[in-house]
Amino acid sequence: MKRISIEARNNWQTAVENLGFGFHTTDIPYWDETAYYSFEMEEIVNIEKASAELWTMCLTAVQHVIDNSLYKSFAIPQWMIPYIERTWNEDHPSVYGRFDLCCKDGQIKLLEFNADTPTSLFEAGIVQWFWLKDFDNDKDQFNSIHEKLITYWKYVKAYLHPGTLHFACIKESLEDLTNTEYLRDCALQAGIDTTLIFIDDIGWDEERKEFLDMEDEPMKNIFKLYPWEWLLGDDFGQNILQDSNQALWIEPAWKMILSNKAILPILWRLFPDHPYLLPAYFEPGQLTSYVKKPILSREGANINLIRNRNLVQHTEGVYGKEGYIFQQLFELPQFDGAYPVVGSWIIGQEPAGIGIREGGTLITNNSSRFVPHLIQR
Amino acid sequence: MKKSKYVELVLITAALASCNQSSKEWEGGGGGSKTYLRSDTTAPYTQARHHGGIGTALLWYYAFRPFGNFSNGNYQRAGYYSNALNRSSNIGRNGFKGAVSRGGFGRGSYSVSS
Repeated sequence: MKRISIEARNNWQTAVENLGFGFHTTDIPYWDETAYYSFEMEEIVNIEKASAELWTMCLTAVQHVIDNSLYKSFAIPQWMIPYIERTWNEDHPSVYGRFDLCCKDGQIKLLEFNADTPTSLFEAGIVQWFWLKDFDNDKDQFNSIHEKLITYWKYVKAYLHPGTLHFACIKESLEDLTNTEYLRDCALQAGIDTTLIFIDDIGWDEERKEFLDMEDEPMKNIFKLYPWEWLLGDDFGQNILQDSNQALWIEPAWKMILSNKAILPILWRLFPDHPYLLPAYFEPGQLTSYVKKPILSREGANINLIRNRNLVQHTEGVYGKEGYIFQQLFELPQFDGAYPVVGSWIIGQEPAGIGIREGGTLITNNSSRFVPHLIQR
Repeated sequence: MKKSKYVELVLITAALASCNQSSKEWEGGGGGSKTYLRSDTTAPYTQARHHGGIGTALLWYYAFRPFGNFSNGNYQRAGYYSNALNRSSNIGRNGFKGAVSRGGFGRGSYSVSS
């Protein structure tokens, strides 16, 4: 894995905007093509193998949490448990997830799993692919995200209730809208009837006990780019259990177990000393260099990074009231002052590609940049 | 790696191409001129509100979305609804609208970005 500095395309803003990528820059650059990461094929095969194995381990961990009723560690409300277990036992399909990996010195370590509302899908599946076409059309990329999404939506179609699949996200974020519309685009290409609705426009009919769209049509299939823990905390949350249509939600509720960082100590307990895992616990114990993470947090918020018992980095945020986990420190590699995290996508049940985000510190946060990659033959 | 030669987007490019256009400064609240709207003739006018937004998403925010239902295979429009308006200006005395509550999801209205 190497970081190569290059000149950005002269017209790169226009090029990415023509793809529908409108959030390439905010007050700071987000899409950064002044560099790319170069991988050997062997490294890519190793990432693919690790991702497939981690996914299998995660499914084992979900079953373990359910069998042993470990929900308290996840701060999952009691009233939600029967529904979570139903979605698991009925095999409600998961479309996607993103493992955040640290790849360093030939090792691959799982930092966390974004299992419920992973973003940067559009950048990884589309924008970096068209960058490669312009930059070096002869090179390849670990990227079958687009094809696998279409293929998997065709598979999911059999699970849907008759009718429309609604795609919901918040209004105020172009990033969320783009990711949601990209997923809807792939679903359309899979032959699914779809509609976009903003999450706060969803209606609830108290008499008929059903969710309604903007035309007062019952919503029976709902993709939401909105975390389960926020859904449950909202006024409508408990209506999900009363829903007379028993709408199929994507991602399914059982993903609440995997999107929670409490899964990291569970994985370590189930697979001790596994080469893809870092020691992780609910208490710091014997760890002297570790990362303290809230079990529910986003964008690198509320993180403490401890090296040899000394706090070396800390981020602020609004998370942490549900509890923390402690994961052994495995520092990101550094390339010219940049610290890359490899986001490895699972689409359906299979590894599908990677997207790399790099920041200027050991903690990847909302100011990190997306940098494309290629495979050096 | 395993990427097909042809990648097509059927929806997103057209839908989002305008999102990066600069949006006009909102003048509906604060120090600018105020805008009073209603979405139902049985409802009173109140001042429209604004919670931020960008590009096309901003336009969608103020959109008056149709309300209605299907009866015997025919769509019957019952009125309009806008999230920029107070509940009182959306519903008024319209019993059809009043049966459905909205806004119960989305309190955490910032990007899920993760």
